[in-house]
Amino acid sequence: MVAKTEKSAVDLLKSPGMTSLFKSLKLKTKQQELLIRVTILFLVYVLAFITRLFSVLRYESMIHEFDPYFNYRVTQFLTQKGFYEFWNWFDSESWYPLGRIVGGTLFPGLMVTAYLIYRTLQFLRFAIHIREVCVLTAPFFASNTTLVAYFFGKELWDSGAGLVAAVLIAICPGYISRSVAGSYDNEGVAIFALLLTFYLFVKAVNTGSLAFALASAFGYFYMVSAWGGYVFIINLIPLYVMVLLITGRYSMRLYVAYNCTYILGMLLAMQIRFVGFQHVQSGEHMAAMGVFFLMQVFYFLDWVKHLLNDPKLFHTFLRITVTCAVGLGAIALGVGTASGYISPWTGRFYSLLDPTYAKDHIPIIASVSEHQPTAWSSFMFDFHILLFLFPAGLYFCFKRLSDATIFIVMYGLTSMYFAGVMVRLILVATPAVCLISAIAVSATIKNLTQLVRAKSKASHSASGKGTISKASSKGSLDQSLPFQRNGAIALLLGAFFLLSRYAIHCTWVTSEAYSSPSIVLAARGAHGNRVIFDDYREAYFWLRQNTPPDAKVMSWWDYGYQITAMGNRTVIVDNNTWNNTHIATVGRAMSSYEDEAYDIMRSLDVDYVLVVFGGVTGYSSDDINKFLWMVRIGGGVFPVIKEPDYLVNGEYRVDKGAAPKMLNCLMYKLSYYRFGEVTTEYGKPPGSQILYLLGMGLSPASTSAYISMVVVKLIFIKNQIWTKS
Amino acid sequence: MPPKSETHASSATTGGTTAQFDPASDSIDLMFHILKALPFSFLRPPRLRLKLPTFTLPSAMTVYSLILLTYFMVVSGIVYDVIVEPPGIGSTQDRFTGAVKPVVFLPGRVNGQYIIEGLSSGFMFVLGGVGIVLLDLALDKNRAKSVKVSYASAGVASVVISYVMSMLFVRIKIPGYLR
Repeated sequence: MVAKTEKSAVDLLKSPGMTSLFKSLKLKTKQQELLIRVTILFLVYVLAFITRLFSVLRYESMIHEFDPYFNYRVTQFLTQKGFYEFWNWFDSESWYPLGRIVGGTLFPGLMVTAYLIYRTLQFLRFAIHIREVCVLTAPFFASNTTLVAYFFGKELWDSGAGLVAAVLIAICPGYISRSVAGSYDNEGVAIFALLLTFYLFVKAVNTGSLAFALASAFGYFYMVSAWGGYVFIINLIPLYVMVLLITGRYSMRLYVAYNCTYILGMLLAMQIRFVGFQHVQSGEHMAAMGVFFLMQVFYFLDWVKHLLNDPKLFHTFLRITVTCAVGLGAIALGVGTASGYISPWTGRFYSLLDPTYAKDHIPIIASVSEHQPTAWSSFMFDFHILLFLFPAGLYFCFKRLSDATIFIVMYGLTSMYFAGVMVRLILVATPAVCLISAIAVSATIKNLTQLVRAKSKASHSASGKGTISKASSKGSLDQSLPFQRNGAIALLLGAFFLLSRYAIHCTWVTSEAYSSPSIVLAARGAHGNRVIFDDYREAYFWLRQNTPPDAKVMSWWDYGYQITAMGNRTVIVDNNTWNNTHIATVGRAMSSYEDEAYDIMRSLDVDYVLVVFGGVTGYSSDDINKFLWMVRIGGGVFPVIKEPDYLVNGEYRVDKGAAPKMLNCLMYKLSYYRFGEVTTEYGKPPGSQILYLLGMGLSPASTSAYISMVVVKLIFIKNQIWTKS
Repeated sequence: MPPKSETHASSATTGGTTAQFDPASDSIDLMFHILKALPFSFLRPPRLRLKLPTFTLPSAMTVYSLILLTYFMVVSGIVYDVIVEPPGIGSTQDRFTGAVKPVVFLPGRVNGQYIIEGLSSGFMFVLGGVGIVLLDLALDKNRAKSVKVSYASAGVASVVISYVMSMLFVRIKIPGYLR
């Protein structure tokens, strides 16, 4: 029976159609490898895109957070009015009465990219709304980043490391946190531009090709147009060149790559109005210029050495030249700084070098929660096992030092230091950590698989093909470690287990922690069901529909962008935070007594005040929680506001035992307005904390207000509350 | 250019062969001549055997161990410790007995820590990295068999311990982890 079926199967295989099909499928090893690689890259591309879609599936396709709303509004303007109107736009709807020169104070890369994608899709006759394009821009560029990571890994180590790097960076939570669908912010595009610039530069240094150096300059231009973090590139690349010069790796390739990239990149960067002439005027960019001149000195010395053919004389010449060059450089720097032409480091970047600076001097920078220093658990959350693989990968890089591995080591170390200083910068460290960990994974797995395959190789060579000594040495190795193959297989399984735990962790973190839109809140109801609060958008829509079009709204700066984008009303201060005094004026108004606040609001032409209060739902990041920052920022400019006035024994309280200035300030009164009518918990009498407030003469009937009943947001017409008598 | 350099070269060599401590005849250094004239015409410098310290670059593995130390400090959250100044270890008071109990892990927030919990977690991460390095060292062919076996077992033990402990720490710190 069996023989008969076998014979029939063989007959089937031998039929002409099947044999030709089999022959066509029989690929050579190299083609098989290419097929595997392309399949893996394709799967990784799709994976990177779909893992970022959690919030689109849970809620809807909308823009998240605060900053993306400004970017979305600007992109809408760009699509409606065209590029030249956008480039010359003066926005009078924010920072009333100052206005904002939008064209000259933003990084246009993100908006122009989304606009180009939108135009391309429209050209292909896809009728798609600009909002969808904006929501999905970040996941699209995250997928592109995985491809760049593959090529970068291939350049650094080998194609196996490249594949592992692509997979690691596709799901790493450190990157997902700022590139999830709906997070339409500069970083989504900037990380792609950063990695692309670094890859092209390292390729240029490795090959000495002028084409790659040109491409690197254009990559740098894209980065400058996309994000203010380009300062990292313009400081890391000179630092890398310095390290290469110190370790004696000066070569013509480095000379060509750096000069071309620096000069062209600098000229291109000056096309962005926001950056302007900072590349020659700002202290943060001077390192690049210094290294540029140092490279010329090196080239000159090399040429003189080639001409002289005499070491002793050359040494004298070397000493004189280096002294002169360093002296001239120091004098030029001193004159530039003293005359004020070269501006000193701005507070934002100086606080990265000296983390204690912001706490004492710039409360606005210190107040942003993303700017806090990093604790170990944030690292663990965002990196998981990459934290183990990073030092191992550094070891492998040090074992095989080359121009490329020196670069990735420097990138990894500097970015990890900055990630330790500020939580937000974990994003910049993520590509470096993923690449170095990929090197560790690839090298370890290569070692282990070589062990697994060693025995079969020895048996092949013992059959007479290899040399006898090789067979004997491999044989002796086999005899010395009999369980080597089993041990290697066990370790391989362990490695796969660790990587699978990494994947599980990343998916869980993405789903639970990084997919919340922040504008729509979710909580568990009394019976464990999920309750969605859409209060923010309802309140902004109420503003849009029920207030006169020229109304001015005062709120804390966090909500400015959302009010202008969704409520379509003029605001006093918004998230751009470019004018500290204006913000301090608002802070002062929020923390003063009602009549003083009325004067300030009158002078600013305010019609409505918007306040976020979470007392009903226990929402903890409301304005009462942020109130001390308002006091600190206001007090920084107006010394009449003193923080100890609002504290009781150094403690911040908001119940009836609070400081009298706290109980009577505008923010407190607005937050707890009509709170007495709201039932917070079952069984307790309504407004049990607020009896003290109702006795202060705040009559509820005289105001017209919108109160959303869950996250309570109160908006008042100010004229009728306080009468100046 | 070529003839000029040759004459310079020849004069340098002749100057070198005549006297070791008398390059005055052919030095073109103005400062040297000024100094020879003014203080050193009547002052006699002593004969010392001094050498300028030569600057040699450290080896790659030295740099690597320094980097490992720095990595340990950064990942333990030393910048957070310096700026926020949390206590070394937290404490709660038992409600009924009034005894003060220590709390190792700061509860409630992802981005907050006490000093000791940061240092112990950082140590676990570095231990894991060192374990993988030991595994690679164990595969080096030029060592004795016993050394290779001990490296391999130490490496595997380090990785396993650090992974298990790190997962334990995360589960204590974030109660809803992986649920």
